[in-house]
Amino acid sequence: MSSSESPARTEAVRQAAPLSRLTRRRFLRYGLIGSAALAAAAAGSFAILRRSPVDAIPVAEGIRNLGAGEYHLFRRAIEVLLPTAGTALTPVEEVPVLANIDHMMGLLPAHVRQELGTGLALFDNAAVVSGFHGRRFVDLDDQAAVDYFDAWSRGHSIQRALNTVIKQFVYTAYWREPETWPPVEFDGPVSDDWGLDYLGNAPLPREDQA
Amino acid sequence: MSRRRRRINMPRQGVPVTTARDVAQDPSRGRRFNIKTEVVVVGSGAAGSVVAHELARAGHEVLVLEAGRYYPSSQFTEHLGDTINEVYKDQASQLNSTADVLFVEGACIGGSTVIGACVMHRPPNSLLEGWSERHGLDQMTPEKLAPLYDEIGEEQFVHLNEAHEINATAHKVIQGCEHMGFRWRPVTRNVRRCALTGHCLAGCKPDRKMSALVTHLPWAVGYGAELYADTHVTRVRIENNRATGVDAVVRDPDTGDTVAEMRVDAQVVVSAGGAIQTPLLLQRSQAPDFSGELGRNLALQPFTQVLAEFPEELYGFRGALVGVQVDEFLESDGFLFYSALAEPEQLMAQGDQGVGADHINFMLRYKHLAGLNAFSIDDGRGSVSWDGGVNDGRQIIRWNPSRKEFNRIKQSASLAARIFFSAGAKRVYMPTYQRLEVDSVFDLDKTMDEVDYGLRGMYTFRSNSFSPQGTCRMGSERSRAVVNPNGELFDVAGLFVADASLFPEPMAAAPHWTVQVLAKHVARRIEARRSSLFI
Ligand SMILES: Cc1cc2nc3c(=O)[nH]c(=O)nc-3n(C[C@H](O)[C@H](O)[C@H](O)COP(=O)(O)OP(=O)(O)OC[C@H]3O[C@@H](n4cnc5c(N)ncnc54)[C@H](O)[C@@H]3O)c2cc1C
Repeated sequence: MSSSESPARTEAVRQAAPLSRLTRRRFLRYGLIGSAALAAAAAGSFAILRRSPVDAIPVAEGIRNLGAGEYHLFRRAIEVLLPTAGTALTPVEEVPVLANIDHMMGLLPAHVRQELGTGLALFDNAAVVSGFHGRRFVDLDDQAAVDYFDAWSRGHSIQRALNTVIKQFVYTAYWREPETWPPVEFDGPVSDDWGLDYLGNAPLPREDQA
Repeated sequence: MSRRRRRINMPRQGVPVTTARDVAQDPSRGRRFNIKTEVVVVGSGAAGSVVAHELARAGHEVLVLEAGRYYPSSQFTEHLGDTINEVYKDQASQLNSTADVLFVEGACIGGSTVIGACVMHRPPNSLLEGWSERHGLDQMTPEKLAPLYDEIGEEQFVHLNEAHEINATAHKVIQGCEHMGFRWRPVTRNVRRCALTGHCLAGCKPDRKMSALVTHLPWAVGYGAELYADTHVTRVRIENNRATGVDAVVRDPDTGDTVAEMRVDAQVVVSAGGAIQTPLLLQRSQAPDFSGELGRNLALQPFTQVLAEFPEELYGFRGALVGVQVDEFLESDGFLFYSALAEPEQLMAQGDQGVGADHINFMLRYKHLAGLNAFSIDDGRGSVSWDGGVNDGRQIIRWNPSRKEFNRIKQSASLAARIFFSAGAKRVYMPTYQRLEVDSVFDLDKTMDEVDYGLRGMYTFRSNSFSPQGTCRMGSERSRAVVNPNGELFDVAGLFVADASLFPEPMAAAPHWTVQVLAKHVARRIEARRSSLFI
């Protein structure tokens, strides 16, 4: 029996059904992630759609703003989005990508943060029901995870939003670190290296000097 | 008799600013303190700094309150991430209500001028003629504003880019335009001896950019103006249809904790918080809104960045950030294009940059890329509103493209792609939420057809706004405008608006120069009415 026909999948589909009933009007009324939140609430909780072995892995020390589910989601997203091993790019393990994501999360206004949390849970759990072998995103193999991102980048508005948010968190958190620049030959800070003189404040306009 | 203030010593570097830390360390002030002044200016950006300089020079006591922190150029790191954390509003995460359009603004002493791209565009006469005719703005004719444009031009060291200020990205744009027969020209910029660091968006460390940090603010201080950073104005106090001052909170910029509450008594209040924050401040203050236009007519000047890959190495991120503009379509279609290639971190906000190996290959070809920012005029149908109480409410920005605006964005992005193909690009990356690459100009239309308007145009193009405008529009009719031709609210004496909110209609050109011209105009109108406004 294929996993797509398993009782777990049937149950997952049942629980996630409210998502497919998101109407255009409701979507417009409640905003983007807000409507995902409604669907999540109606479905009970996404966190129970399918357990994953990664749920048992503890969150790294120093993580303050990411919940456990979010932490595992981003950890997996980083592996999938930035497979730097064997390439000229700075190895992703040498860049504090997760710590940067955690920091950025902490800067979000409370209401955005809350909606984003719901959206991330949706991204992780929707893989269970959308043709990805009944597994959460965190458990997809590399190719399936890449395909999942690609599918969401071409999906409906909520999917495009979440695909973008996750990529942007991961890529920004990586590319903002100076050690990632040499392989792409971006120069970074130059003024001190070039010995530029600092001009200070501009002289008063002519009219003032009269 | 001239009341012009005697100049005190103008600082040679930096600006004296009272910060939250200074307030916290000064026991004489306590947790609540009052200040009396003649003029209080809310916001220290493009408009606020000009107003402060003009009115301080005219002899007034001027106090400038700025919500953002003081981040002097001596602390700039030429690292965009650091700058975003320190001085970009909400760490560059200010979004519309559907979270698909990014509104980037500066929130620091100097406002958006600190992180601006230096382009100074003098709009065509037709724009000002239209404003003046359709909104009863007799003072806004091109002839009447010309002296103010000239003054700002001189104060800002505005000059046409010279040959060394045209980088490889710009050369690709020139090449494409020459093949297509499109009109292009070097941009005019407010830079003194540009050092070509390319770090405009992270602040100009060697002080070559003529931001407010090194021009109007130190000049205003030279005439005795005082500046507070970390000071968020929560409300304008209005009594009997007259502005009497403002309430503000001084917050620790790192923790957000309130350090003190401040009350300012002033005879004139000038709001220069920018086109998003000024209407919100007036809404929080329950300013009368007879026309119902307060916070409406928001125009974005949405832009997308089209990237092109060339066979040769360009290092298009080096040199002056913006080299040339394509203004062929400015008056006919409201499109304006500026050459510029974002640095790696910012590139991630411009399009879908691929997944996994695809992303890595894309970034390894970074030195082969050129970028063209495609601005298209929108119709000013957006709005900003404040939802909730003065202290616990939140802002809502509403803007999604109409079908017409969506088509304009699409058309401008397609034109940018054509320019690059004509210059020999082998691949163009479209600025969309879905990954779209085009390998031949013959595939362009077909590929662009994949971008469907869908649900209110949401999550289609990666649009950004650097130049919101129009939310307190100026005009002569109380039933259609928020402020009168002097910049004063129709029903509140002594309360002025001086920033980008004033624009009566959307403009296609880069707005900085015009914002400063209008700010000068408002300051001069205040001064002209000195006897009725000041005791
Ligand atoms: C990254 C970037 C690049 C740009 N590049 C260009 C360019 O090349 N050419 C061009 O023409 N235009 C450019 N612009 C746009 C241009 O900078 C703005 O149009 C212009 O600065 C608007 O001036 P303003 O005074 O209305 O607002 P701002 O310059 O943004 O200043 C507003 C200030 O008010 C403060 N403030 C707001 N509310 C309050 C409050 N309640 N209490 C206290 N303080 C408050 C803010 O913190 C901010 O510092 C750019 C903008 C950005 C963000």
